[in-house]
Amino acid sequence: MIDQVRDHVKGLLDDGKIVAFVGLKDQGGNVSPHVYTNSDDLNNGFSLGDLNTPGDARYPLARIAMTAVSQDEKGAVGVLVRGCDERALYELLRWNQLDAERIVKVGIACPAELAQAHECRKPFPDEYVAGEKTDPVANASVDEIMGKDLLGRLDYWKTEFDKCIKCYGCRDVCPVCFCNVCTLEEDSLIRTGDIPPENPMFHLTRAVHMAGRCIDCNLCTEVCPAEIPLRTLYKKVAEIVKDEFEYVTGEPGDRKSPLNILGPDPGHTAAND
Amino acid sequence: MKQLLAFSGIEPERLELKWVSSAEGPRFAHVVTDFVERIRGLGPSPLRTGASARKAG
Ligand code: SF4
Ligand code: SF4
Repeated sequence: MIDQVRDHVKGLLDDGKIVAFVGLKDQGGNVSPHVYTNSDDLNNGFSLGDLNTPGDARYPLARIAMTAVSQDEKGAVGVLVRGCDERALYELLRWNQLDAERIVKVGIACPAELAQAHECRKPFPDEYVAGEKTDPVANASVDEIMGKDLLGRLDYWKTEFDKCIKCYGCRDVCPVCFCNVCTLEEDSLIRTGDIPPENPMFHLTRAVHMAGRCIDCNLCTEVCPAEIPLRTLYKKVAEIVKDEFEYVTGEPGDRKSPLNILGPDPGHTAAND
Repeated sequence: MKQLLAFSGIEPERLELKWVSSAEGPRFAHVVTDFVERIRGLGPSPLRTGASARKAG
């Protein structure tokens, strides 16, 4: 399957359809994100996250593509997308962080095992050049918490949040955390000197900021050195946004998140109503 | 917000959001007094006392 993907990307680069490709590279066993700029590059370490298949080495490629696009004046950038990367791209487009014309998706479908491990809601992009479609995995983690009583939930999250070492890894790895200024580092809102950070303010603040944004990729949970099940919290937030506003993140189309609407247009006052 | 609080184990009644215009003094006083009474009724925040402390007590 890796050859299929590689050939496809080579074609795109050789035909000048893209100026760069954001993918993964295996460097002595370590898989990291890489921007390929010519097809010869692809003969050296090209990876899908595992030896030959979409493996568990994942990165926020959609946001890296955002940076790659900003480095070239007008060329299109190719990007390796799984289901989660595609959701991130759709969401970044809706938040006006990307220009659809400048992105070329190269899709791969993830194996069932990986989908299970990440409770993935759609383990394949809309179009893919390799891999096979497997079933979405139902949401169980939120129900588990809802099964507890109020005190049980508080105990659970307090204990989890107390493990936090405030490395900001959850935010840094997030494909849809694109703000230039972050509330989590604003001392007047959340004391920045504490470890663990203010419990539960730090985590509930991030949860609120993920409303209408989190595309459920599970990277934050995966990267957290304290193994805090962060995504479960954001999954609940997504559920609330869906129930209240009928907004689902990571879908195509230009519907704006309910939290991306700033009210009346500039210049609007009661006088010219 | 209330639903997120409930998911985190904090009584949602501890949060209230109401729009009061600057011209509605008496209504403002009423809303605040009501809320203060409700919060008193709920007792100290479980975050302050610690959930486990409350269980033990
Ligand atoms: S990744 Fe984990 S330990 Fe690091 S700031 Fe986020 S929650 Fe805390
Ligand atoms: S699951 Fe975590 S890393 Fe992924 S989009 Fe949501 S908050 Fe960001």
